[in-house]
Amino acid sequence: MTATSATSMSDGFETVAVAKPKRDPILIALWITLLVVALIWLAPFIFILFTSLKTQAAVTSTGAFMPPTDPAFENYSNAWGRGNFASAFLNSAIITVIKVPLGLILSAMAAYALAKIRLRFSKLLLLLVVFGTMIPFQVMLAPLFTLVNSLGLIDTYPGVILPYIAFGVPYQVFILHGFFKGIPKELSEAALIDGASHFTIFRRIFLPVCLPVLAALLILDFVSTWNEFAMALVLLQDQHMWTLPLGLMSFQGQFSNDYGQLNAAIVMTVLPATIVYLIFQRYFVSGLTSGAVKG
Amino acid sequence: MSLRNRTHDPRVQALILLAPAMLIYVIFALYPMLNVVVLSFQKWNGLAPQRPFVGLANYQYIFTQDPVFWVAFRNTVIWTIMCVIFPPMVGLLLALSLNQKLFARNTFRAIFYLPVIIAPIAVATMWKWMYDPFFGLFTEILTSMGLQSWIQDWLGDKSVALYSVFVAYLWQSVGFSMVLFLAGLQNVSQTLVEAARIDGAGRWNIFRYVTLPALRTTITIVLVLSVISSLKAFDIVYGLTGGGPAQSTQMLALWAFTQAMQIFDFGRGAAISVVLLLITIAVVIPYLRWTQKHEEAEQ
Repeated sequence: MTATSATSMSDGFETVAVAKPKRDPILIALWITLLVVALIWLAPFIFILFTSLKTQAAVTSTGAFMPPTDPAFENYSNAWGRGNFASAFLNSAIITVIKVPLGLILSAMAAYALAKIRLRFSKLLLLLVVFGTMIPFQVMLAPLFTLVNSLGLIDTYPGVILPYIAFGVPYQVFILHGFFKGIPKELSEAALIDGASHFTIFRRIFLPVCLPVLAALLILDFVSTWNEFAMALVLLQDQHMWTLPLGLMSFQGQFSNDYGQLNAAIVMTVLPATIVYLIFQRYFVSGLTSGAVKG
Repeated sequence: MSLRNRTHDPRVQALILLAPAMLIYVIFALYPMLNVVVLSFQKWNGLAPQRPFVGLANYQYIFTQDPVFWVAFRNTVIWTIMCVIFPPMVGLLLALSLNQKLFARNTFRAIFYLPVIIAPIAVATMWKWMYDPFFGLFTEILTSMGLQSWIQDWLGDKSVALYSVFVAYLWQSVGFSMVLFLAGLQNVSQTLVEAARIDGAGRWNIFRYVTLPALRTTITIVLVLSVISSLKAFDIVYGLTGGGPAQSTQMLALWAFTQAMQIFDFGRGAAISVVLLLITIAVVIPYLRWTQKHEEAEQ
């Protein structure tokens, strides 16, 4: 049930509408309206991009949607060198590269055990997990700080990666559990009779089968880890440990009058997630909808 | 694989598979959640070795003496109502439109979804600059249209700041509702739509009597997710206004954070968190029961 809506959705995203041009006036009006709304939706991006390439003088003297006549690329190199921006980029990259695959594999293991091994308490655990998908972690920033602090992990990579995994587990387990449940018993039973352990079945049979779902979750998780702000704000106090969202926030505070550089900093913060999105668009949709909307 | 020989019991294997994820989840997610309840009955500045038990004093303080709590509460209610109405409504309209066979509809979908993947803190930074009363986008547009008198200090005027923040939030979150509705629309029976069309039903009637009933599940899901994500609103408020001016954009999540991490009263911060937690649970539990019933009905 979960997989079907996911695939139908991603197909919907993929297939280009090649309908015969109907001369339906309502559809034409609708299309024009959509075009206008889409342009409004894009306007902030265009505005930010243009401003990021303007000198301070050009920002104040030219119109917002006037393309920069003499692109000031130095805004990017200057912003990069200022206010720990480069080290924030590196920290974000390290945390994301460790957290995302690690969290996903742990979630997949747990989801497999919950879905495919008969346990008395698996229903209760699953309920606990589903509950976790709904709870706002913003509520627990202070106790989270206290906990990580008492473990001596403030301003360390594990100190932020472990909570990130903890808050990523519920959603991922929930999705993967649904997916594993849908895989027919026969696939694993033959192997079980042959004496294979669940570790082998998980690794050899189930992991390969769920690769598309894993890919979708991987990409969603990449973006949300890259973008995370609130937890990083309390767990990373030392500015040399800051991630990109923290770096951008402080950049805004310190150099808010350097419009060109500020906007260059915004572009650089947003770019990695945007590129990932544009390349893996269809996975986003399937990753999101497979969990939330069922047939 | 000597491990395999020692662990023939499938229950042991299950435990080994479950343990890492569950331990991390329990320690770093569930424990802080329980701890926030304990903290809400204590007086603590975050450093002192002693955490004296003070009973309901923290709750009494936030309900009766804290001048900001009820402002934050009221703003959270207004915010949540706006979040339940507007992003789902715009998302549904976009989904219905983009479910038609239109030229370049995939490009349109991609454009409306793009803001969803951008860091909320970057959205805040972008919009703070667009709201700049001197060089910002809105000032510029209104000036070019000759509407200078409409120019506001978007984020500095306490009567408009909350709505300015919401517009930025709307821009970011519409794509999320849209995608969920688009997925839901794939489940609307085309046979029924065709049958209704042949029977002479117009667009509105097809929508009203075929599409809308088929979307009921999706609508519930979108509304619940909207409530939950609206209660979580933190980054965008923090980045745009920090709760100001004069607490006019202060909300419960941010105020709990401010009490604990900036005023260093962890007990009061925790009490605010517990209030927010209870509100969330009041939405989540009925929803979970509803989904369970729904699943049982499906099977």
